[in-house]
Amino acid sequence: MLKIRQVSKVYEGRIAYRALSDINLTVEDNEFVGIMGPSGSGKTTLLNMIATIDEPTTGEILINGENPHRLKKEKLAQFRRRELGFVFQDFNLLHTLTVEENMVLPLTLDGKKVSEMKEKAKNIAKKLGITEIMNKRTYEISGGQAQRAAVARAMIHTPKLLLADEPTGNLDSKSSKDVMEMLESINEKEKTTMLLVTHDPQAASYCNRVVFIRDGKFYSEIHRGDNRQAFFQKIIDTLSLMGGDSNDVSSVRV
Amino acid sequence: MTFRQFAFNNVIRNKRLYAAYFLSSLFTVMVFFTFSIFASHPQLTGDNMDSYVSFGMNVAAGIIYVFSFFFVLYSMSSFLQSRKKEFGLLMIQGMSMKQIRSMVFLENMFIGFIATIGGIGLGLVFAKGILLVAENVLIIDNELPFYFPTQPILLTFGCFILLFFFISIFVSYILRSRKLIDLIKGDKKSKGEPKANIFLTILGVLLLGSGYAVALTVDGLMVIAAMIPVIIVVIIGTYLLFTQLSVFIIRRLKRKENFFWHKTNMILLSDLSFRMKDNARSFFLVAIISTVAFSAIGTLYGFQSYITAGLKQVNQTTVSYQDNDTGNEEANVAYIDDTLDKANIDMDKERVTLHYYKLPDDSEVLIAKESDYNRIANLSDNETLHVEDGAPVLMGPEMTLLGVGGETSHEEEAEALKDAVLELDNDTILEPAQMVASNVLPSTTAYYVVSDHDFESLPEPATGENYYAWQETADKEIPLEIAEKLDSKLSAEGIRIGHYEEYIMNKMYGPILFVGLFIGIVFFVSAGSFLYFRLYSDLDEDKKKFQAITKMGLTEKELKKVLNRQTALLFFAPIAVALIHGAVALTALSNMFFYSLLKESTMVLSLFLVIQIVYFFIVRFYYIRQVKQALQ
Repeated sequence: MLKIRQVSKVYEGRIAYRALSDINLTVEDNEFVGIMGPSGSGKTTLLNMIATIDEPTTGEILINGENPHRLKKEKLAQFRRRELGFVFQDFNLLHTLTVEENMVLPLTLDGKKVSEMKEKAKNIAKKLGITEIMNKRTYEISGGQAQRAAVARAMIHTPKLLLADEPTGNLDSKSSKDVMEMLESINEKEKTTMLLVTHDPQAASYCNRVVFIRDGKFYSEIHRGDNRQAFFQKIIDTLSLMGGDSNDVSSVRV
Repeated sequence: MTFRQFAFNNVIRNKRLYAAYFLSSLFTVMVFFTFSIFASHPQLTGDNMDSYVSFGMNVAAGIIYVFSFFFVLYSMSSFLQSRKKEFGLLMIQGMSMKQIRSMVFLENMFIGFIATIGGIGLGLVFAKGILLVAENVLIIDNELPFYFPTQPILLTFGCFILLFFFISIFVSYILRSRKLIDLIKGDKKSKGEPKANIFLTILGVLLLGSGYAVALTVDGLMVIAAMIPVIIVVIIGTYLLFTQLSVFIIRRLKRKENFFWHKTNMILLSDLSFRMKDNARSFFLVAIISTVAFSAIGTLYGFQSYITAGLKQVNQTTVSYQDNDTGNEEANVAYIDDTLDKANIDMDKERVTLHYYKLPDDSEVLIAKESDYNRIANLSDNETLHVEDGAPVLMGPEMTLLGVGGETSHEEEAEALKDAVLELDNDTILEPAQMVASNVLPSTTAYYVVSDHDFESLPEPATGENYYAWQETADKEIPLEIAEKLDSKLSAEGIRIGHYEEYIMNKMYGPILFVGLFIGIVFFVSAGSFLYFRLYSDLDEDKKKFQAITKMGLTEKELKKVLNRQTALLFFAPIAVALIHGAVALTALSNMFFYSLLKESTMVLSLFLVIQIVYFFIVRFYYIRQVKQALQ
């Protein structure tokens, strides 16, 4: 599904800064992969490059065997709205639109039929349990609801790859759990490949596999067995081994 | 660091933030200063200017000053709006409201002071250019020398320091009673979507409709009577149009999902409806200001062309001479011939004798011979007449300046012909068969042309006057010096030189036209600045919004499309309304004079439209570039 080969990113400037060096990562179809690391380790840079928002300095990224960075700007935008789904830490919902309108926005840009969009929005809202807030404004709903609406927007066009950047970063523990469980079930039922960047070991424990990077380099990776609780412990162990600052590891949430 | 230093550094080290506000203040000072240099220029205020012109200039300066006040206040408040968060931050650090107010006051005074000094300096340079232009626009005998304007400098300095002082007080007063939480969340809190009141929407449509209907139907002196009520009704109507009707329309469009959910419409319309609250007020101001600008310039320009056209009608040939009982007719005509000859101007000359006949009621009427009429008509490039025996023609002069003539219907013509039956001394009866509008012969009242044969049988004329006409052959005008020489010697004796009369008219009218143009342009440019402020106060929000949407996949084309429409609406919605208002106002004006101003109105309005289009393209280019840079 996703192949990252020898990807490096150098930010040019008065002092060139190497954000990522020689990252290799392969994600299979239907896999749920977490990326963790201390602040400034290059997690978000990596995700942005996969999301085609940023470009790698060297190396290549293939999504379904295709290099989206080679696409023309127009095609790239279309690729993004058809093949990829995004979930952000701060939701990125437009406050001028209702929840439903936010959800169908990627479809309207593609010029889909209204009845089709309505149908899709209804179905996905039912699945994610946000049917009753469909006509509300974004400032009338809670953070957890907003993030679920954002997930709904990311999922409405059934993307092949869903990218989530700290989706639980702004949420309380209950909402975090809801959102992660929802992502997990989408991954299982819809067979969507997912990539999650997070600080939160609790959130990361929902993944099949967690990749750790530090100072822009690959550090290690661990796989989840059957037990999520044990996997959570392993993540904590790796983080403390990695020796990131203590405040990078958020307090344990149960 | 003392508190004063802090306020000072806040401005100096934050130049970019303050630049827009500073520049608009600078611009305002410069406009006022340039205008006051102009208004108190010795050449223009001296004895050779009518007192009403200088009075007009002072009124204009007053208007500019009042307008400056609102303009600076508006830019100040929109500037403070964008700094809410900063104030919140300062208050968290422990700054009291009193201190914030005194900081804003100090900052504002500082910016105001620099802007006043800078505006005067820039105005001095600008004034030289304006005076150069003015020399050409106004026909002033001596050139307008550049002088060092002590009085305007003092006036401008005093006025604007006072203005900034009052605005500073006013603004620091506005700032009171804001809660800290509101300030910090200032940019996050949604203002909510404005709602339209159906009653006010309908009222707005009705007011505008009735205002227009009245303005378009009245004519003559009724226009003056209807003017004030119509203006009030239309202003209220315009306000409701932007605050209610626009919201109403947008909400209706939003409810139509087939339209609203179509491609980029959703982004465009939802933003529009949320911004309408802020936009409506700016739109209203811009529309009204632009209407004033259009109408002022259109009126002045229309008036000038109205007078010029009137003079052209009176003076059909280049030079004419009709003796005013001076007794030295021959000498005068010889002098004219001689002068024109010496100046090397090729002239065709005709001479006719105008015969006046006594009527039973002791008044006199002009009856001309067909051949005489045709000679002058030929000379002045007018159509010649063919008059049958026994079928005299009634000539109706068209003198718009005197309100004589103009379009007549069939019934009116028949009526006029019936009234025009003449009974002369020896029982000759003149029964005109047709009516022709013509200014060929110098008469302000109706006259008759009869065939040469009929003319023989007319009784003895009561009086006969010679009329001399000269027409330039090479389609050149007489040089001004020659015209002036002839005019100064013979104007009382009966010479008329159309070109020179126009020149004199322009010379008198020039300053008024210039003042009008200047104010119109100032208003129009200010309207443009309003729009610019409006657009740029949304820039940050737009940047954030498009960053979010681009991540989901918005092509550059779509981005441009949305921004293009958004900017176009902002720029053309108020201007379109202003253009319609202006067109209606100028139509009412031409109804008042019974003189068509269609050409002039079209010219003025389309000129403004072109300027606005150019301005739109420039602003759009920079705005799109800014948003695109934020997306990189």
